[in-house]
Amino acid sequence: MTARAYKGDETTGFQSPAQDHIEAVPDLAELLELRRPQRYAVRVKGDGLRARGIHGGDILVVNSDAEPQSGKVCVAFLHGDVVLAILTEKDGQWWLEPSNHAPAPVSDETEVWAMIAALVRTDV
Amino acid sequence: MFGLIDGNNFYVSCERAFDPTLIGKPVIVLSNNDGCAIARSAEAKALGIKMGEVWHLSKRKPEYRNVIAKSSNYALYGDMSRRVYEVLSESFARVEPYSIDEMFLDLTQFARADYCRRVRERVRRVTKIPTCIGIGTTKTLAKLANKHAKSRPDLGGVSDFSDLDARRQAFKEMPIDEIWGVGGASQLKLNNLGIHTVEQFAALPSASVRKLMTVTGQRTHAELNGVSCMPLTLAPSQRQTVSVTRMFGRPVETWEDMREALAAHASRAAEKCRKHGLAATAMQVFFHTNPHAKEPFFNAQRSFDVEPTNDSFSLIRQAVRAGQSMWKPGLSYAKCGIILLDLHAVGDAPRDLLPTVDPIKSEKLMTALDAVNARFGRGTLRPGGIRPKTPWSTRANNRSPRYTTRFSDLMEVQA
Repeated sequence: MTARAYKGDETTGFQSPAQDHIEAVPDLAELLELRRPQRYAVRVKGDGLRARGIHGGDILVVNSDAEPQSGKVCVAFLHGDVVLAILTEKDGQWWLEPSNHAPAPVSDETEVWAMIAALVRTDV
Repeated sequence: MFGLIDGNNFYVSCERAFDPTLIGKPVIVLSNNDGCAIARSAEAKALGIKMGEVWHLSKRKPEYRNVIAKSSNYALYGDMSRRVYEVLSESFARVEPYSIDEMFLDLTQFARADYCRRVRERVRRVTKIPTCIGIGTTKTLAKLANKHAKSRPDLGGVSDFSDLDARRQAFKEMPIDEIWGVGGASQLKLNNLGIHTVEQFAALPSASVRKLMTVTGQRTHAELNGVSCMPLTLAPSQRQTVSVTRMFGRPVETWEDMREALAAHASRAAEKCRKHGLAATAMQVFFHTNPHAKEPFFNAQRSFDVEPTNDSFSLIRQAVRAGQSMWKPGLSYAKCGIILLDLHAVGDAPRDLLPTVDPIKSEKLMTALDAVNARFGRGTLRPGGIRPKTPWSTRANNRSPRYTTRFSDLMEVQA
């Protein structure tokens, strides 16, 4: 007899009173909406945004369909780099403020790739 | 009303979605084993790189020195295709994924060019993939309209052939090889008769098209004239065969390597069968040397009946036995493959009176095998004798990370 998956339901002696109430472990992919087409997971490199609670090594779950919001952190393509930047609006012009680059105006040369939606840290 | 959306240079666009250093550069994606160019950015096309160009023969040309050649990354392209499909499913009642980069759309009365332009922008924002959409009263017209949209950037990525005047105007200039299903021999035949444009072809009498190009050509002709012959199909038709064939990353010269390759392919073929609830009743095993080499070409091939099954171990055993009976030492083999034939749904497959494989035991074992591999990744459990990385494995020297399907491969963002 090989080992089987026991989920708290099928016991050999006394019948488990839980057998009609077994639930699966909570699904983080569900919580983070990872199956939706606009959700992507990315990995943070560097500690320039610790002030915003984002550490190097963190996994960020980002939303490519979210409306840009002034003051929020986004993932952007800037001068051929993939960077985290604070998105701000001043007098109708949008700016990217990365921690390790000078601020740059949002233009045809840049791309706001996605807005940050959630954070996963596994090395707490 | 049909729409046909397709990704512009889809594989290149998938690569660029996660790598800004590829934007604006000539980029190509290579086929399995880094053989030929199978996707080209606009910049690469402008340099004259052809579809199917054998890259190791032409990469040293001076004009190609700045070309970036990526190995194909099908885990990424498959996931991006899924994302495109899901975005489209939010905007259309029915979507038919026709190929990895093309989908037919069920358009209602109200969802026309402007609506399609908005959807296209949304696909671009969510998946980063630029697309074009063709609209028509038939699939063939929608496909042709899509080509028209590609060749005319001023149309904003959408061309509507449900408009008769727009269609007639475009037909005057479009060559017949742009039509879905017209190419090669039929194109030559038509050209010889002086028929070069879509307009000329559409104006032919239906009966003469049938004489020239059989009933398939007649159907294409009817569809071009607005008579729909092909409905939207949502599920793929049942597979008749499952084949797993690969070029070796480098020549295989020993029976040990060939045995392992055949076993790996048989195992993968059995897996595919199980995924579709099918059992094979016949099998073909082949291997051959490089047909372009100086040495004489050697091709070994055997087809034979097997006890109806989708059991990896049973199929591996029979594939290896057939391979061994044909093995000829002293040669450099370039390719081998397994094709499972005469597939039946598991319940309908003819049964052997005295099966050598216990069907119940086999089913349990295979279910467990598939469950482990589904949970922990393909290749976690491998039937005996197949190494995870083999010298003959497919070459992929410049494959990008599997950005969207593995935590180890996520896109890195600098902070």
